[in-house]
Amino acid sequence: MTPALSISHLRKVYRRGTVGIEELSLDVAPGEFFGFLGPNGAGKTTTIHCVTGIARPTSGRIEVFGVDAVRNYREARRLVGLSPQEFNVDPFANARDIVSWMGGYYGMKAEERRARTEMLLEKFDLAVHAKKSFRELSGGLKRRVMLARAMINDPKLLILDEPTAGVDVELRRDLWRYLQEMNRDGKTIFLTSHYLEEVERLCRNIAIISDGRIVRQGPKEEFVNEPGGLEAAYLRATGAEPNHVPAPAA
Amino acid sequence: MSAKAPLVNWIGLWTIIRREWTRLMRVPIQAFLAPWISALLFIFIFGFVVGGRISQIGGHRYIQFVLPGILMMNIVNASFLQSSSQVYFSRFLRYVEETLVAPLSYAEMIAGVIAVVVVRSVITALGILVIAAFFGATSIDGVAEFVFWIVSVSMVFGLLGIVIGLWANNFEQLTILNIFFITPLSFVGGVFNTVAMLPPWLRWIAYGNPFFYFINGLRHAMIGFTEASEALGVAIALGLAVLMSAIVWRLYAVGYGLRE
Repeated sequence: MTPALSISHLRKVYRRGTVGIEELSLDVAPGEFFGFLGPNGAGKTTTIHCVTGIARPTSGRIEVFGVDAVRNYREARRLVGLSPQEFNVDPFANARDIVSWMGGYYGMKAEERRARTEMLLEKFDLAVHAKKSFRELSGGLKRRVMLARAMINDPKLLILDEPTAGVDVELRRDLWRYLQEMNRDGKTIFLTSHYLEEVERLCRNIAIISDGRIVRQGPKEEFVNEPGGLEAAYLRATGAEPNHVPAPAA
Repeated sequence: MSAKAPLVNWIGLWTIIRREWTRLMRVPIQAFLAPWISALLFIFIFGFVVGGRISQIGGHRYIQFVLPGILMMNIVNASFLQSSSQVYFSRFLRYVEETLVAPLSYAEMIAGVIAVVVVRSVITALGILVIAAFFGATSIDGVAEFVFWIVSVSMVFGLLGIVIGLWANNFEQLTILNIFFITPLSFVGGVFNTVAMLPPWLRWIAYGNPFFYFINGLRHAMIGFTEASEALGVAIALGLAVLMSAIVWRLYAVGYGLRE
């Protein structure tokens, strides 16, 4: 079966010589909920940027559902939706326009785009904020706009780069429910997060990246069944000291 | 969405144009009113007040002679500012990433920027023509030639603005070319004077200045007055448009200033 995302021997060196990714290969099966973990600066966002076209890979091959994401990038982009870690929007544009324009970039016809925009605004409780400019929105609402924008083209592969960073518990849980729903419907989801609880709850397979290399990869159960659970497995894989902070005395 | 990407993403291209137009309409005073007021002052002072004391040039009143130059200066400024600020701000605020992750070709991204540049220039030009009409200075001898100069010069400076928008890393760098290159060259390119009025040694500099050919071409289109070969002017404008298109396409293809 053609993987939803196939990365082989990816290497990324920035113009000033900084190595973003040393060597990275991984496959994500269609319909997978895949967790991509790693410390800050390990290369998670760089990998995502190479897949989505924000960064240019130095070498290696990236395929989205069998389509070369560099050589045949226009075809590959149509299959992907991205919710980035950092807000990359025109802050003076309103929520509705931000979502709808993205549909336009994907070549969606006006009627289809309008219907889907309204559906997503409803789904993420953004309808009452639709006319507000992005800069007027709270952190949680901004994050929702990012997610609605990522989903406007109903992508086969949804890439979420720390989608719940800075959002409240309620929204996080709503979002988890929504992502699980989408995944059940067959959408492939590639998730990076610093919340191990989130990854443990949502993902079926996990890869851990450290210093630009995959240091461990496998089914979630392999990680959570180890002594100390996912957190200890993660710390061991990244070479960090598992310094447990004791709980406060009762 | 259909399974295969269309040859040209027309909807994507139209969205780039619509989105930039929305941004432009947030600053209508800066985009349109400022050049119109500036042109009004130039026309009034140089054309009407000073021009009243200057004898005719090539059988035309001074106000008619100076108007094409004022028009061209404003078109150059509008084109350059439009594209340089559009590209720079989209990089600075990172919303350029919206187009990078979408199924848009480099040609579509560039065409989207240039289309807005041309629209802004045409609106700026029309407004100045209306203002000039109140001073009895508006005349167009060759409409097709007039449109050619407005569109081709807008494209050249729109493309140049894209290069600067990609290169600049701060607001000061964004204005450098305008201060040290565009404004001086446009002033010495024959806005207010004929080449014959210049000392002989300075004439050669004028003949080597592309602005001279742009202003001369527009002046020919408006009042039929010319000091250089029309064909040479057209060749320079088209040559620069093709050269700048190739440079900008290459910069997009390698991701200069756009992709990490």
